[in-house]
Amino acid sequence: MADIALQGVTKKFGANIALRDLDLDIKDGEFFVLLGQTGAGKTTTLRVIAGLEKPNSGKVILDGQDATNWNAAERDVALVLQQYSLYPRLTVRGNLEFPLKSRTHNLTAAEIKDRVDRVAETLQITRLLDRKVERLSGGEMQRVSIGRAIVRKPRVFLMDEPLSALDANLRDVLRVELKKLHSELGATFVFVTHDQVEAMSMGDKIGVLNKGRLVQVGTPSEIYAKPINTFVARSVGTPPMNLLDGTLRAGTAVLDAGGFTLPVTRIHGADGARIRFGIRPENMVLDGNGPASGRVFDVENHGVIKILTLDVNGTHLHATVSAQTKVQIDEVVPFGWRSEKVLSFDPTNGRNLDLD
Amino acid sequence: MAQIDIQNVQKFFGHLQVLKNLNLTIADGEFVVMLGQSGGGKTTALRAIAGLESVTSGKILINGTEVQDRKAADRDIAFVFQSFSLYPHMTVRENIAFPLRAVRMKATERDKAVNEVAGILQIAEHLNRKPSALSGGDMQRVAIARALVRRPQALLMDEPLGVLDAKLREQMRAEIKRLHIARGSTSVYVTHDQIEAMSLADRIVILHDGVLQQVGAPDEIYLHPTNLFVAKFVGSPVMNINGVRIDGNGVTLSGADASFSFPDDALASVRGTAADLTLGVRPEAVLLQHQQTEGYIEVQTTNIEPLGSHDIVDIGLGEAVLRARTESGFISGEGQRVWARLDPAQAHFFDTATGLNLRGAN
Repeated sequence: MADIALQGVTKKFGANIALRDLDLDIKDGEFFVLLGQTGAGKTTTLRVIAGLEKPNSGKVILDGQDATNWNAAERDVALVLQQYSLYPRLTVRGNLEFPLKSRTHNLTAAEIKDRVDRVAETLQITRLLDRKVERLSGGEMQRVSIGRAIVRKPRVFLMDEPLSALDANLRDVLRVELKKLHSELGATFVFVTHDQVEAMSMGDKIGVLNKGRLVQVGTPSEIYAKPINTFVARSVGTPPMNLLDGTLRAGTAVLDAGGFTLPVTRIHGADGARIRFGIRPENMVLDGNGPASGRVFDVENHGVIKILTLDVNGTHLHATVSAQTKVQIDEVVPFGWRSEKVLSFDPTNGRNLDLD
Repeated sequence: MAQIDIQNVQKFFGHLQVLKNLNLTIADGEFVVMLGQSGGGKTTALRAIAGLESVTSGKILINGTEVQDRKAADRDIAFVFQSFSLYPHMTVRENIAFPLRAVRMKATERDKAVNEVAGILQIAEHLNRKPSALSGGDMQRVAIARALVRRPQALLMDEPLGVLDAKLREQMRAEIKRLHIARGSTSVYVTHDQIEAMSLADRIVILHDGVLQQVGAPDEIYLHPTNLFVAKFVGSPVMNINGVRIDGNGVTLSGADASFSFPDDALASVRGTAADLTLGVRPEAVLLQHQQTEGYIEVQTTNIEPLGSHDIVDIGLGEAVLRARTESGFISGEGQRVWARLDPAQAHFFDTATGLNLRGAN
């Protein structure tokens, strides 16, 4: 069990700066997700916490103690990777026992068996214990990898995209299982992913990384509803938030695209101010009354919903509508938006003006 | 323009039968998507239509003419692969014009045809470049242009967007759909991506283990799956599938400690059957209420996935678990008492042994 803090961590690889003055606070027992694209620095952050990378400057604090110069073993963290990295010739039991057989643990054979059995039960892999890992499915292998991490009762679990090699349905299942495991163990989890669905659905907190900087930390609903800037706004939600440049006029938004006038509930700025308006696809309304209109460019059918791409004078907008909505490609449809859901961003620096 | 008929087609690779008595009619101008897992037989079916693969028995007709013994080149069909397979030493113009040179079309006509198709696919400005200078999306546009330039009777595509990144895939998918609407060529498209299939197809053909499982419009497939395989293959999150027992009007999930009450007409198709039953309900057909409500039973929430636009809420009834799709924030946390009902109109009863939907596909 552990609190984790990074203080002013900078990590360079040659001329490339992977992490820039990163501050991070992860509370004991939290499920913390680092969300970012390839190259954002999320894996580097994880490796700095694990002790596999040494920062050029800044500190790593574990449970209030400066652990910057501790090696990986001293930090007592467990790492689960996307690739399973199990010993193919050993059985599942052999793989689970392996970390316990190191001298530092000093466990008797009976104690080892007891721990392995309990972990196997938690992960529902008891029936697989005597199988060679090369004969397991992807989902089973990832369960064994997680089991091998759990068995030595580390203070922190670090997981680097552990689900991304699995197929979609299995990912759905393991997402729920990992969350359940987290609440049973009560341990601190740091989970790295580029998949916003994983971040939203699993995290107590999400930290959004961009180019080695931490852009925002918050609960999934904070990140989704109150993004600090357009970058965060576009990094969660499928399809991403629509961004539309326009001008405030008499308390309404006059959009550059098509010159349409739409209502705005929260006004930020004087008449004539340039604003980048943000509206999520599910808050677009196609009710026949307008006031704007667009040409249907594409219809993505999800069965339960449809996602329309509307072409508004060359600008593409997404709108999520019910499955019953009947529209044809190239049909011109009127649309509006839920004005109370509209966010206003500063077009020069992307900041959410609601938060100022 | 062409109608394609596939009649009693069997295909063996050695002892392995990859197509089992396939029958399918693709109408002139139709966009048909073959959907399935790898190994399901969808690519083999496509290659058999193209003439890249012979059939062991059965007939393939294009506009009423048997073509199963004709070479690919004599079927007047164009093929687009996942790998773009462009000639690297030729310019884009030369690549697109290649099939026309083969038929010795005059240079002026050839240029006209290339310019027209390049205009449709928005690659006119790339005509004098080499493929290596293009992005993945543009390379696939060139491959499609090359397939379309000689106005084939039908266009066959095998996972043409498979190697593109998500954003480009979405854009190219829209373009392929629009191209189909503009050109009206009979198109057969193979994919394992259900969203692609649902979004592109006039009709979806689902193949599994070489057997055609269902043919239907996207909404038909989604709303009325003929069997458990189709039910589980289409839709995300996956349809809830639970063993079930029926007593009178009570529907009890295996392991559940309470039963849902269904009206008589919703159970008509399963009355009198001796078969073991499996119930399938999509997450949007699991309805939740905060308060005790007539017709709802008490359940416990076990997991919440907040996805921003909506939530996926897991509910437990004894040992059984169902996933429900709710408005965002409707249920605030795990371990809460809520009340649940299944929408009988969206509930499917399957014969557990055969997997067949007892209500049929309607």
